[in-house]
Amino acid sequence: MTPPANSGPAPRDTRPREQVVVFSIGEFSFAISAPSVQEIRRTDSLGGAVVELDRSALRKVRHIVERDERSYYVVSGYEHFHLSVSRPTTVLILRDAPVAVLVDRIEEMAEMRVLLHLPRSFCGEERIWYRGLTVLGRKVLPVADSCGFLTAAELQQLEEQNPGLLQTAATSAHERQRG
Amino acid sequence: MSVADNPNVPSFLVLHLGTRRVALSREEVAELIASPLLYSFPHTTPLITGVVMRRGRILPVLDLGHCVLGEPSPATRFFLVVERKISGATEKCAIPVQGGCELVTGIMTPEADQSGFVAGWLDLNGEQIEVLDLEKAIATATRGYTASAAEVTV
Repeated sequence: MTPPANSGPAPRDTRPREQVVVFSIGEFSFAISAPSVQEIRRTDSLGGAVVELDRSALRKVRHIVERDERSYYVVSGYEHFHLSVSRPTTVLILRDAPVAVLVDRIEEMAEMRVLLHLPRSFCGEERIWYRGLTVLGRKVLPVADSCGFLTAAELQQLEEQNPGLLQTAATSAHERQRG
Repeated sequence: MSVADNPNVPSFLVLHLGTRRVALSREEVAELIASPLLYSFPHTTPLITGVVMRRGRILPVLDLGHCVLGEPSPATRFFLVVERKISGATEKCAIPVQGGCELVTGIMTPEADQSGFVAGWLDLNGEQIEVLDLEKAIATATRGYTASAAEVTV
């Protein structure tokens, strides 16, 4: 027996949804949770707020940027993902970590309806980089983990090499604003 | 009853990897699929070239060409779906293959040197076909990758 047609309203799609920012680096696209991004700016609009690090333990971090009394390590997206070609024009300033990520461009804002676990066969650094995979517009994209651009160990490494730098930069930015 | 009809005689799937023909135990293989799209993204796991979608599930693609041919397999849209046991769980993976696969039965002659990824040999009308140990092939490729990465670092 087949169920009667038009027997009631179609069941509501109750799958969780999440707004994501889709960005690209080189030939690859990535998604990141929109609430984890505090600000999106073009690199040429950051101006004097960027400070070059004298020393950096990590190749992917060479600058800090000051925004609204807070300072962030600037992580090169293409160095982070071990890519060779990139033309960063945009910076994603993150909310959950003292990190600003250089990316090539923003592609779109989208609604993510499914977050799939990264298959267990993946056993490298990508397990730190990504929360999982999603499907957007018939494409499979990795969903970047906002806390994966700099691990706790990497943050400690940077702090040890540049003691109090983030704090100092934030204080001086605050004083400049007051002055 | 012939050897081919005997369910107790092990069966194997013979597949094409580039110009080579190799075999896998039938027990490891779930199905052969055609998938038009391979999605790739940055990662650091050796052998994996991306993922394909199959019935709403995501399958990692493991290219055995790296260990069998010493180079990536030629581009294809055919994949053999195999089951791997990883950390106590079963996971399906897709292996790119060129063209069709052949199901054969036969007795495998075990490889004397068990240190490599060849589990044994099948005699198919005089042609000696390598039977791969999938997990050892993956482990071998992983070791090779780690070694070459170390050379670059030094």
